[in-house]
Amino acid sequence: MKKVLALLLVAIMALSVVGGALAEGSAVVSWYTFGDVYLTSVRNALGEAFAARGVKVTDKDANGVQQTQLDDISTAIVSGTDALVINLVDSGAIGTATTLLEKGKEQDKPVVFFNRAVSTDNADAEAMFASYEKSAFVGTDFEEAGKMQGDLIGAYVLENFDALDLNGDGVISYVMFKGDEANQEAIARTKYGVENADAILTAAGKPALKFYDEANASKYLVDLNGTWSNAASFDYMQTILSQYNEPNGNMVELIIANNDDMAMGAINALMQAGYNTGEEGVKVIPVFGVDAVDDAKELINQGKMTGTVKQDAVGMAEAVAVITDNLIQGKDKFEGLAENVRVIDGWFVQIPYAVYTGE
Amino acid sequence: MSQTKVENRQPADVLNWILDRAMIILIILLAIVVAILRPAFIRIPSIVNLLCLTAARLPMALGVAGCIVLAGTDLSGGRVAGLTGFISAILLQSAGTATRFLQGGQPLPVPLVILIAMVVGGTIGVVNGFCMGKFKLHPFIVTLATQLITYGVYLTVSNSKQVSSLDPSYSTNFVIKPLFEFTVGGIRTVVPMYVLLAIILTAIMWVVWNKTAFGKNMFAVGSNEEAARVSGVNVLFTIVVTFIIAGALYGYTGFIEAARIGTSGPSLGLSYENDAISAVVIGGVSFVGGTGKISGVILGVFMMQLIIASMTFLGISGSITYIIKGGVILIACILDMRKYRTKK
Repeated sequence: MKKVLALLLVAIMALSVVGGALAEGSAVVSWYTFGDVYLTSVRNALGEAFAARGVKVTDKDANGVQQTQLDDISTAIVSGTDALVINLVDSGAIGTATTLLEKGKEQDKPVVFFNRAVSTDNADAEAMFASYEKSAFVGTDFEEAGKMQGDLIGAYVLENFDALDLNGDGVISYVMFKGDEANQEAIARTKYGVENADAILTAAGKPALKFYDEANASKYLVDLNGTWSNAASFDYMQTILSQYNEPNGNMVELIIANNDDMAMGAINALMQAGYNTGEEGVKVIPVFGVDAVDDAKELINQGKMTGTVKQDAVGMAEAVAVITDNLIQGKDKFEGLAENVRVIDGWFVQIPYAVYTGE
Repeated sequence: MSQTKVENRQPADVLNWILDRAMIILIILLAIVVAILRPAFIRIPSIVNLLCLTAARLPMALGVAGCIVLAGTDLSGGRVAGLTGFISAILLQSAGTATRFLQGGQPLPVPLVILIAMVVGGTIGVVNGFCMGKFKLHPFIVTLATQLITYGVYLTVSNSKQVSSLDPSYSTNFVIKPLFEFTVGGIRTVVPMYVLLAIILTAIMWVVWNKTAFGKNMFAVGSNEEAARVSGVNVLFTIVVTFIIAGALYGYTGFIEAARIGTSGPSLGLSYENDAISAVVIGGVSFVGGTGKISGVILGVFMMQLIIASMTFLGISGSITYIIKGGVILIACILDMRKYRTKK
């Protein structure tokens, strides 16, 4: 038993060494969750971007719990880190964002928020960031991805209208997978993904898209856990396919998802039903996502998925690292940002989206 | 065989003494290692931080500890806190907030809202306790069900809306109001009000567990329900009250958390009960039932927070933190069961 104790002690010490030094130029990054595919790609890119600048970074996982994030930030401050980088758990919760910003401001630590919006209202967010010079937000125009996805879908459907209309009723029926009921980006993507597509279709004299289930007035299926997960869309899609299929003459003809993870869940269910296998002669139901994660790009190149909107993980990580490093060193915070990045009203750093439909 | 035992009694006793306290010894060792590598760990701001983290999580742990003493458990805690956090937030949202949830209303008096939060929590506790005591259902499944129901009620009532703009009488002038304030090494350190509240609640719970007939009955029911019944303990009453107290403490947790975080949202309370149960188990409250101390609960919560904080100080990634947390829980349970084996 003593040996066991000794072993445990050695293990603890070994871990401490692995932990490395929180030397000069350190940042603690608190993530909404380690379980998100896109955020993981940002996390990997951010680790590299910080390493390139000699900033030692510690990643903390809030695992979807705001309390954990708050406590991790409190501990990070007393641990003497130089900067706080926050991927807010409760997206849009200005009260929480303010609480976290105040914690950093009190100790004169730079606070950089990124990816998840701090408020549903830009004026509130602007007022908050204006209250503390050493702060910024790196994100995207939360409506842009949805609009871009809608435009992409509209153009695609218009071009392939007759081929897509499997039952020949002159209308394209669709499914919309929403990632999270309350998330601002999810709401915008759910809205514009269809609205922008409809605008293109109706302008060309075609009928608007039709939600597959007329009894569902909300016109989307939401991940009830709010995690934008492929498990949720897979389950929904399987249930849908049992009732809506070609033999019944009511097969869904288009699938729109708020993110690639949900798009991939739907594709898995389609593949099990014999669609979208990428093989010659097999029908493909067009599936659109957002994020352009590596797995989704591969599916697009294999012909199993149709399109996605690229959220630039590397660009976002780079901007976060540049701003954080500038603030640590006391330089102008927006110095050295990439050229395609927009800085709005001195606080909002926007990373542009781009359409991806294969190489 | 027995002879060698007699001969080895002394070293064996020492070993047993160490093993009985292995958890705390390991934690102290961890603290020493972290303190050597990162001296800031044992400076005042860090210790106060640990104190605050412990105080925030203690009430829920005290609640669930009672259920575990009954040889049960309670999974509803987190979602109850989510619901009462929401109730507290809407009742105490600043008047005149443009998006005020209860349009045109005024914030209620804070003590009244604490009471409402605790009554709502206690009511869910009645359901939990009654189903366990009356219908002989395992509390795991009862509280899993009430957890889901509570979350569903929260989502329906709140429509998943976040509630911010909390009235100062609730947040800055009460829950997170500085009790003491001092500056050490350039870091402004604050001990907030909720630490004092947690101390008061803990004292009350200590009295309930140790100085009341109800407390003694709770342990009696936990160690042997049949024996307790035969000796005249009202088992159903004891179980229901234990769950009411637990529910009230979860309700209180929700009240504190919404103000501490600054917003009530759908993630408030998510998996809090897991953290509380883990901490309670580390603190030596056994799932076998009938054993546990308030001091153990405090120590368990403190140790859990100390481990988590150490990870940040050492710069260890969140992924590794899970492995360590899980390992600690496992070791704690193994050590705990060892005591029972020895007794037999």
